[in-house]
Amino acid sequence: MSDLEKVSDTEAMPKLQGVAHFIQVFDSLGVFALLVVLVVVASIIAPGFFTYTNVTNTIIMASITAATGLGMTFAIAVGGFDLSVGSVQGLTAIVAASLLAVAGVPLAILGALLTGLLMGLFNGVIISKLKIPAFVVTFGMMSIVRGVALLVTQGQSVMITNHPDFATLNNGKILAIPVPFIIVMIVFTALYLILHHTPFGRHICAIGGNRTAAIASGISVDRVTIAVFGLVGITAAISGVMLSSQLMIVDGTLGTGLELQAIAISVLGGTSLSGGNGNLVGTVLAALLLATIASALNILKVAAFYQYLFVGVLLIFALSIDTVRRTIIAKLTLSRV
Amino acid sequence: MNELRGIRSKDSRLSGVSVVDFFTKYYIQSLLIVAAVVLGLVNPYFRTATNLENILLQASFSGIGAAGMTLLIVSGVFDLSVAGLLGLCGVVLAKLIPTIGISLAICASLVIGLVLGSLNGFVVTKLRIPAFIATLGMMNIYLALAFIWSGGEVIPASDLAFQFLGTGTFFGVLPVPFIVMVVIYLFCQGILSRTLFGRYLQAIGSNEIAGRTAGLLVDTIRIITFAIVGGCTALAGVFLTAELSSANAIMAGGYELTVIAVVVIGGTSLKGGKGTLFGSFAGALFFAVINNALNLFGVGAYWQYVVTGFFLISALGVQALRSAVLPVE
Repeated sequence: MSDLEKVSDTEAMPKLQGVAHFIQVFDSLGVFALLVVLVVVASIIAPGFFTYTNVTNTIIMASITAATGLGMTFAIAVGGFDLSVGSVQGLTAIVAASLLAVAGVPLAILGALLTGLLMGLFNGVIISKLKIPAFVVTFGMMSIVRGVALLVTQGQSVMITNHPDFATLNNGKILAIPVPFIIVMIVFTALYLILHHTPFGRHICAIGGNRTAAIASGISVDRVTIAVFGLVGITAAISGVMLSSQLMIVDGTLGTGLELQAIAISVLGGTSLSGGNGNLVGTVLAALLLATIASALNILKVAAFYQYLFVGVLLIFALSIDTVRRTIIAKLTLSRV
Repeated sequence: MNELRGIRSKDSRLSGVSVVDFFTKYYIQSLLIVAAVVLGLVNPYFRTATNLENILLQASFSGIGAAGMTLLIVSGVFDLSVAGLLGLCGVVLAKLIPTIGISLAICASLVIGLVLGSLNGFVVTKLRIPAFIATLGMMNIYLALAFIWSGGEVIPASDLAFQFLGTGTFFGVLPVPFIVMVVIYLFCQGILSRTLFGRYLQAIGSNEIAGRTAGLLVDTIRIITFAIVGGCTALAGVFLTAELSSANAIMAGGYELTVIAVVVIGGTSLKGGKGTLFGSFAGALFFAVINNALNLFGVGAYWQYVVTGFFLISALGVQALRSAVLPVE
């Protein structure tokens, strides 16, 4: 008799325990399995999907979303989320493109990242100091930053002409791996180390898991919240830089709907909206999953409207699973007490 | 002696509070009057009948949606899907008018609003997905359906009798949608303050668990309220389609933001439990006046994003300050 069976024998609800175990496995492997299945299916039904060019493009597409998604996972882990990331992506893409007209690539990237950081810190300060719910603040900021992006450009497009090398940030390859994916891997590694191997990361999970307990144990909730939203701003800016290097022509409407995708991949990747944990591996995998679907639908010439429909349905589906998971975990916790 | 001084200082603080209280309680109404008077003095075009009619018309689009949303926010949740739903209802309406006639098409559009509103409620209560995220997903779905149904095109609604709904006026200055808006506000205020249902809304909004324990059918109440929001949104869609004499999927971009901002700036707490339709009514007028002023002074449409977002955040800031100034409310 294995250890697992022994445990389930002593449990009051062995069946529930089994389901919980399945959910744990699903959290870590489910998205990956789903991704593999989808890639296989897409390769069969969409000829031209499994080519080097298309797979590369899909990975690049996924990387742009994943960068923001990783930040969003932090925001969700701390018990909030950020609806302004789409607008911040748009604005930072414009900042990068505008700076490229007068300065070099490093300065343009720095300017964009700084803009993102400022927006994020602003969100964080208002949320923690004025005690306004995160979704309302970031919702309002979504509108304000969008307005600023449109005002700065006067509704026109900004073209990046004098820095053709900027495009290598998007189409460059190192050892046949696309540069955007390498960027995301760096972001991933940094955030993973922060979340799992620093006191700051533990404070994030503590606040998201039980805010009152976190305050009682002396964690500076305000400072952590502000830092997390600053981080989200930076990741949105990274997405913005990546997007501008992909398009080389940007306008004030870029990034609309990114917030929804970022939340969707975080939740799909196994990060619960109730806060307290963050599954960064899942976020990256879910970004690849979403990009695979979009790419397959594109090859099959399905209209863009249906992709909207798909993201919406997928989000509701992922969240329903999240509800089931939480219900079972809650029941398990109760049965143990 | 000390006691006496204590009482006196308490007294003076009390009168100070009541002045502050009046202005914090009716700050949006005061703000509206000040803004309207100042604008009327500064800009002669502002006080013309045509412009007034224009403001009332603009106010009624967000106002009608905000009436239902006020009830929903009182019950403790809100609905971000209204922009998609409005687009969908508008497209359906414009598509159906030539085939089944005006009144049937309007009925169909309202029914769709009510049904999809209930669907929102179902997703939020039965699948237990947090409202803001569930309705954000539903917005994508409705928007996609509107796109698919319209094929991404603008659908014309050129029936003159139908257009009267959007452009017609009573006494030359009161637009039809505004009259309907007034009726809806009276109706919703009646629901909130005179019916058992209204009491239930406030009860589950201020303490959902207590409401459940007391045996209230929280899910049913929420689903009905979501349906009311859907109905109001569809109605706003009817008037907007009539005014534009056309419909398309993205005709109400940012509508959810405006509607929630109207409710919040009107003084309804996002925490739920209590709300004021009078405030939302004034809030809708306030936003219309501000947008009108921005247009009159030649400030571009892009500023309206900034202004709406700014007012949403600062209204909540005011609420936060108010609860800091008046701890016992």
